[in-house]
Amino acid sequence: MNSGFYSAFAGFAARTDALEMLANNVANASTVGFKASHAFYRSFDSWTQPFNATPLNQAINHFGVLGGAHLDLSPGNIEPTGNDTDVALEGKGFFIIQAANGIRYTRAGNFSLNAQRQLVTAQGDLVLGEQGPIQIPAGQLSISADGTISVDGVLVSKLKIADAAPNTQLTAEGKNYFVIPVAAVKDATTVTVRQGNLEMSNSDPVRTTVSIIELQRTAELMEKALSIFHNEFNKTATQQIPIV
Amino acid sequence: MYRALYTAASGMETQQLNLENVANNLANANTTGFRRRRLQFQDLIYQSIVLPGAASTQQTTFPTGLQIGLGARAAASEIIQLQGDFNTTGNPLDLVIQGQGFFQVQLPSGEIAYTRAGAFQLDPTGIIVTSDGNQLQPAITIPAAATNVTIGADGTVSVQLPGATASQQVGTIQLATFANAGGLNSIGGNLSLETTASGNPIAGVPGGPEGLGTIQQGALESSNVDVVGEFIQMILAQRSYEANSRVVHAADQMFQTINGLTS
Repeated sequence: MNSGFYSAFAGFAARTDALEMLANNVANASTVGFKASHAFYRSFDSWTQPFNATPLNQAINHFGVLGGAHLDLSPGNIEPTGNDTDVALEGKGFFIIQAANGIRYTRAGNFSLNAQRQLVTAQGDLVLGEQGPIQIPAGQLSISADGTISVDGVLVSKLKIADAAPNTQLTAEGKNYFVIPVAAVKDATTVTVRQGNLEMSNSDPVRTTVSIIELQRTAELMEKALSIFHNEFNKTATQQIPIV
Repeated sequence: MYRALYTAASGMETQQLNLENVANNLANANTTGFRRRRLQFQDLIYQSIVLPGAASTQQTTFPTGLQIGLGARAAASEIIQLQGDFNTTGNPLDLVIQGQGFFQVQLPSGEIAYTRAGAFQLDPTGIIVTSDGNQLQPAITIPAAATNVTIGADGTVSVQLPGATASQQVGTIQLATFANAGGLNSIGGNLSLETTASGNPIAGVPGGPEGLGTIQQGALESSNVDVVGEFIQMILAQRSYEANSRVVHAADQMFQTINGLTS
């Protein structure tokens, strides 16, 4: 029947999904190492293979749906904390974590020591160095810009920092962890480690506020379109046509 | 739509917790030996509508996925182990530890607790106790007749008795340290208990190889709360709370729009 009705509905549904994504960015405004996701829209047809359709058919089926979200990997603010085991990464790269389900990657450097004096994440998972888990003896801990860990001037280990090949799709897993496909993992080359600092969330409040307003208004617009299809067309069909 | 409401609610909850933590840090700005805490947040699980790299056809994959995160939560409140400022008091039983060690005190239950607050006093029998009356371990008795108490950097306690020319040694204060002092269990009263996360205490004489630090007599360690930093945290928490409430409002309005779609 009214294909426009479905178009407007698809648009509205896409806006609600986009709002959900936005809600997650706002909720994580204080999460260390958090990377915001930004939604984008695409036409429904772009998911399917080109098909034989008339231009009219193509035009009316080209409605916009939420195409996906891209992870915004731009850096967050680096904030000094003064804690020796806090580290921030400047540049492209990820810390490598031995999580329960395998290797995970994170930008959140809020590490601490466990009872065995191993460097662990807030979750208690081991942070990996060049020689596996990092055991830190008592003393003055210092981590240099290239990730070399020393205690009282004696070399202990080196933080292992990985990077993803360009255009790799990262999967966010929660707990500040990301999954990178094994084939795409390589050594980070352009990264600097900053001890005593943390990289905060890159969720941008201005962009978020503007997006909320924009979403709300476009949703209203879709609603207008929906009610026109719903009310006006039906009215025409049921009331005007019999008169003619 | 429901997701947006719950996600924003989780954000508001974490920011409220953040403010509560700031309140406790500020309330203890003048507590001797207090160490501030910092909340650590994490993102919750993600709902993958389209997994990144999923196959769109046999030959091609989706270049980006569609993952919707479900909010934030507070994962831990970490104790910031930074040394506080030293205030000289001149009181011979006020002690500070220059280093990472803790004083050991015995609770009424017999358990050993650990503290950085070195404001000690004497009980009626002359034993060194905390301001709550818990004994410093190992117990040290100061003779009632003593005219002067000296505590050395290595914890040696010596007293001057009337009529004697040389000072007399009455005991040695021992300190303890932990592999992970951030994992101690705070129980109030400036005291902490060991946990499996902190590891077993490593006790020893101040100034020893364990990295316990040395003792300085006649001073107290004030809290390490940074009032300006806490104010900034407070502003951030408040504004983020507002931003989350905006999302709730927007979700509510979009809901209303749908419900208002009359036939």
